[in-house]
Amino acid sequence: MTRRLLLVLTILASALLASAPGAVAAAPAAEPFHWDEATVADILAEPEAYTRVVVRGELVGDFGRRDDGTVWVQLNGDAYADAPLLAGGSLAGANLGIGARIPAELWPGFDEPGGYRARGPLVELQGMWRYHDPGRGGESYLDVTGIELLEPPLALEEGIDWLPLGLGVGLLAIAGVVGLRIRRRAA
Amino acid sequence: MLMRPNLEDLRIIGFYLGRILLLVAGVIALPLLWAVLGREWGPASSFVLTAGAFALLGVSASARAPQGHHLDWSHGMVVAALAWLIVPAVGSLPLALSGHFANPLDAIFDAMSGLTTTGLSLLQDLDHLAPSLNFWRHLLHFLGGQGIVLAAVSIFAGGAGLSMLYGEAREEKILPSVGSTARFIWWASVVHLLFGVLVLGSVAYFGLGFTPLRSAFHGLMVFFAGFDTGGFAPQSTSIGYYHSAVFEAATAVFMVAGAMSFGLHYAIWRGPHRFRALRNLETRTLASTLLAALTLALVGLATLGLYRTVPALARQGLFHVLSAHTGTGLATVPSSELVRWGGLAFVGVTLAMALGGMASSTAGGVKSLRVGLALKILKNHIKAVILPDRAVVSQAYYQGGRKRVTPPLAQAVLVVTLLYVALYLAGAVAGLAYGYPLQEALFESVSASANVGLSVGITQPSMPVVLEITYILQMWLGRLEFVAVFALIGFTVAAVRGR
Repeated sequence: MTRRLLLVLTILASALLASAPGAVAAAPAAEPFHWDEATVADILAEPEAYTRVVVRGELVGDFGRRDDGTVWVQLNGDAYADAPLLAGGSLAGANLGIGARIPAELWPGFDEPGGYRARGPLVELQGMWRYHDPGRGGESYLDVTGIELLEPPLALEEGIDWLPLGLGVGLLAIAGVVGLRIRRRAA
Repeated sequence: MLMRPNLEDLRIIGFYLGRILLLVAGVIALPLLWAVLGREWGPASSFVLTAGAFALLGVSASARAPQGHHLDWSHGMVVAALAWLIVPAVGSLPLALSGHFANPLDAIFDAMSGLTTTGLSLLQDLDHLAPSLNFWRHLLHFLGGQGIVLAAVSIFAGGAGLSMLYGEAREEKILPSVGSTARFIWWASVVHLLFGVLVLGSVAYFGLGFTPLRSAFHGLMVFFAGFDTGGFAPQSTSIGYYHSAVFEAATAVFMVAGAMSFGLHYAIWRGPHRFRALRNLETRTLASTLLAALTLALVGLATLGLYRTVPALARQGLFHVLSAHTGTGLATVPSSELVRWGGLAFVGVTLAMALGGMASSTAGGVKSLRVGLALKILKNHIKAVILPDRAVVSQAYYQGGRKRVTPPLAQAVLVVTLLYVALYLAGAVAGLAYGYPLQEALFESVSASANVGLSVGITQPSMPVVLEITYILQMWLGRLEFVAVFALIGFTVAAVRGR
């Protein structure tokens, strides 16, 4: 039964795929040489509208140095880039990020990406926005051709929160005492 | 007549519930240790508080051991339902204190989403979250996916825990005793964990060029999210963060492993006839529904013209259908793009989410065995109508041996299936009431109820509070497969109105 179903679905899928307009769409036409200044939010909202962009943001996560001579990193263009939570910034929704592929020869060699310990380097990236790049299995990312450091990484600190710590130790102590008394009573 | 629960009933429930809470208090030592080693003092303080809260609740609840009476069916169900409410409520403390949530309800939403292995999130600025807190979120996936009750049963409840396990929607007894079944599930999970971290960490280190420590971190987090069909991710762009087909493929392997029942794992690992399990109705149904959903999604995506080449279409379509069908919810595209997957692509992904993985796995949804049985019941019914009166319609099916579709089984299958459909629709109606389009409201509702976690953007910090509470309830009901929740409601009504 499964084999018959497989055959029917394969035939159906092939027929529909072949007739689908998107499957045979031609490569995008050449566009005029023009750099659009955009935010990450703009790009995520209308990803097909951009090709050559200049975009600012914070480099976060990891600097993935790959064997093909590129460095992959995430560029965040949200409010946390300017005002991290640990530096007194306020909540402003989820992160807004896109992937960026930077050739090793352009890579300035930053030490620390943005994360818990640091606000990452603030940069301005210039590059080609590859939306659903057929050469990379449909991934979308910024192919960087220029990079400018706007602000170096900023170390972030978080001290001990004494109130929850004190309360927690107190609760653990009470739980321990109660537990011991129950054991003694049971014995 | 409703019988009011007596003091002994409360003692039994309190005793076993308390043991589960004490177990979770012990588990918090792991993220606490992580925070201390990483000198993350803020999160460390909140983990101490959470451990203290769980410990005190646990000790207080189990203070008076039951005398003579054993845990019966309804007790076990109530314990399971309460455990799955209290653990996320108290377990949300470190999240609420992190400063990454607008209010405590948002933190509870995330903790419930973590424990029920859903993966929807209201956390803000994930990319600057402390690694120990990220570990806690993913550890909630592991606790929930493998089963907090299961963990408790494997340690202290033994045979008495069977009803609690049923309450946690684990109906499979792989080995002769409940304790040995529970221990096998944990043993298999730990082996997968070691293997998973090794594989995913290696891909991150050798393929993506991450540092050794970060590779191990990503390997561990993505393993928890994949194998427990959870859906949280260590970075805000989910699996799209890695920009790697190899990493996606490795993750998909663990997603599929997580959606397989532990009975099937046992059969494949140890059984003398390991490939006989492939004949099971459940396995064949899962393969068929996956194929059908994938076909719909691929044709839909091709029609929309979103991807220009067949390899791109196949990679993106396959990953998301697998993620949906296994109930994982990891994505390679942002929700702002997923919302554009209309037409057949929407139908394919939503259908995959709704049907879900295998029973007694970490996946949610209606589950393949029920889908297969429901289709068989329907087919038999049609045959009985068409064939002559004297014709005998076979009620047999193969699931680890030849079995029969009995009337009580048919009734149970159809009732639970209908309840899932009702839950999907109820959440969609709630979404519609707030002005979201039908397609988006239905998608998000199915995602929450089937514990998947894919989102078209409704789940965000600014979402309406009532809708947020609706999704919390949907995640809870969907994960426990209704029965334990109904038992808790019945118990509460009996306590108030009984004699």
